[in-house]
Amino acid sequence: MLLTEDQELIQGMVREFAIEEVAPIAAEIDKTHEFPHATVKRMAELGLFGLTTPEEYEGSEGDTVSYSLAVEELSRVCASHGVILSAHVSLCVFPIFKFGNEAQKKKYLPDLASGRKLGGFGLTEAGAGTDASAQKTTATLQGDKYILDGAKIFITNGGVAETFVVFAMTDKAKGNKGISAFIVEKSFPGFSIGQTEDKMGICASSTTEIIMKNCEVPKENLLGNEGDGFKVAMATLDGGRIGIASQAVGIAQGALDAAVEYAKERVQFGKPIAANQGIQWMLADMATRTECARQIVRHAALVKDSGARYSKEAAMGKVFAAEAAMWVTTKAVQVLGGIGYTKSYPVERYMRDAKITEIYEGTSEVQRMVIAANLLS
Amino acid sequence: MKKIAVCYKWVLSDADIRVNEKTRELDMEKCKPQISEYDRNAIECGVQIKKAAGGELVGMTAGAAVTASTKDALSRGLDTVSFLEDGVMKDADSTTTSKVLAGMIKQIGDVDVVICSEGSSDEYARQTGPRLAALLGWPSVSYVSKVTVSGDSFELERKMEEGTEVVSVAAPVVISVLPDVGEAPIPGVKDILGAKKKPANAVSLGDIGLSADAAKPLTAVKSVLAPVTSRKNVHLNPDGVSIADAAAALVKQLSADGVL
Repeated sequence: MLLTEDQELIQGMVREFAIEEVAPIAAEIDKTHEFPHATVKRMAELGLFGLTTPEEYEGSEGDTVSYSLAVEELSRVCASHGVILSAHVSLCVFPIFKFGNEAQKKKYLPDLASGRKLGGFGLTEAGAGTDASAQKTTATLQGDKYILDGAKIFITNGGVAETFVVFAMTDKAKGNKGISAFIVEKSFPGFSIGQTEDKMGICASSTTEIIMKNCEVPKENLLGNEGDGFKVAMATLDGGRIGIASQAVGIAQGALDAAVEYAKERVQFGKPIAANQGIQWMLADMATRTECARQIVRHAALVKDSGARYSKEAAMGKVFAAEAAMWVTTKAVQVLGGIGYTKSYPVERYMRDAKITEIYEGTSEVQRMVIAANLLS
Repeated sequence: MKKIAVCYKWVLSDADIRVNEKTRELDMEKCKPQISEYDRNAIECGVQIKKAAGGELVGMTAGAAVTASTKDALSRGLDTVSFLEDGVMKDADSTTTSKVLAGMIKQIGDVDVVICSEGSSDEYARQTGPRLAALLGWPSVSYVSKVTVSGDSFELERKMEEGTEVVSVAAPVVISVLPDVGEAPIPGVKDILGAKKKPANAVSLGDIGLSADAAKPLTAVKSVLAPVTSRKNVHLNPDGVSIADAAAALVKQLSADGVL
């Protein structure tokens, strides 16, 4: 797929920003787990958080392909930055834009699109991962407020976001059709941040628990109608999969770049290891999988932009790109050998970062379920 | 200020140049075109002058294939771009480039200041600014590291080898700027997507009263070869002399070479 001129310029811009401002801190924040506030502020200044939001809400009105490019280029140097952007745009901005009424859009989108506030998405619970219908968080209407009770885990941007799209049961008897979606602000009474996760990878991304104990959410913050929550969640995750797939492509590319550079420089038996056919074949396979992942993800983004249904394409993109990223990064460590296993080179970080792409926003197994359901329906 | 003109060059990025080790020839096949790095500083200088003194900020470029440059240029704060795309520019030297740009500047008219970078990132010939000034009959100020606008005049700091010189000059003027004049910010998404709404005006040789013959270069480049770097290959501890003796030999060598 060839890019338009605008898409190429956006890609170039994000690449320049990532190389000049993100790359120098990537290893350090992975080590310290420090949330990169300064570079996130720069991302806001560059308009990345409002990439797909209309101008009337302070967005840049770009397309999904441009957004995919931005996440990929960021993740190429730092997967934490990639998911900070992806979770914000795909999981918070998108559902408010798609399912919110005009008052909700006017109230929340400008701050989110401009990056003045970060967003999060609260669906997963300790007992409800892939099985979203097993969630226990409840929302009870009392006068002009919903009272939410429950806790959500593994919330990306949890410790830094101010606006969350949260899911809760308004009618347990109805199963999936009893789930509703709400816009919840961090400042609402009864809302607190719980445990911060100490993760294997994407260490600079803030992943926390969010706790709602008699949390008062104004009635007008219901997103859509009562019972729309499952539909909102699934539609949101479809778009989120394009974001995570883009992150996976970026991780794979970063690992490939590092492996190629090392293979050209490392001399053994009097020649660079890149002269050995075995290494050449590994690099060729890594490059092929990365490029195939890239093209399938861009195709999913194009289908989304066309207005057509894109669940199957997004699922295909995510499962392929995530598994490619895991494979490519593992091979990258292999190419570098012993030194690749240390923190002297970034490939071990890429490998640790890649694993989560096979899990969050729908595991690879769930993606296969979605694809099969589309094929067999 | 009526119009501020900034000249920029569309060059090949040097990041992906490959060198044939046997022939020393440069392979530019993988090099992508971009606005010359130092011209981005010149554009930013223009943006700052416009902020201080108002006026229309016009980008100007000429080359064999420059249409693709216009959106990138417009995303960096220019109001409009005037570009000349003609095959005669393929082997253009400073004479041709200056003639064409001077013609374009005269054609748009009302220009108070022309900003060029001190040199382009590919050739760094440092001729365009002074030649332009000569053709236009305007003052030329080079090595400019800081610009302050005062009405229709400019106070210009020049970074010279022996120190800083401050020059005051009235418009119209051609200034050649160093990167110190202002860091070129990375354009944001809105700047990039907004660029297509700004005008990019194609200009022909005929529009500026130049014939193809008059625009022919006076010089021709015969070859461009990578330099040969020779190493001295001085062995400081042959036959396993001690580290202390080797260090002493190194100090002596470096002193003899004028390094220490």
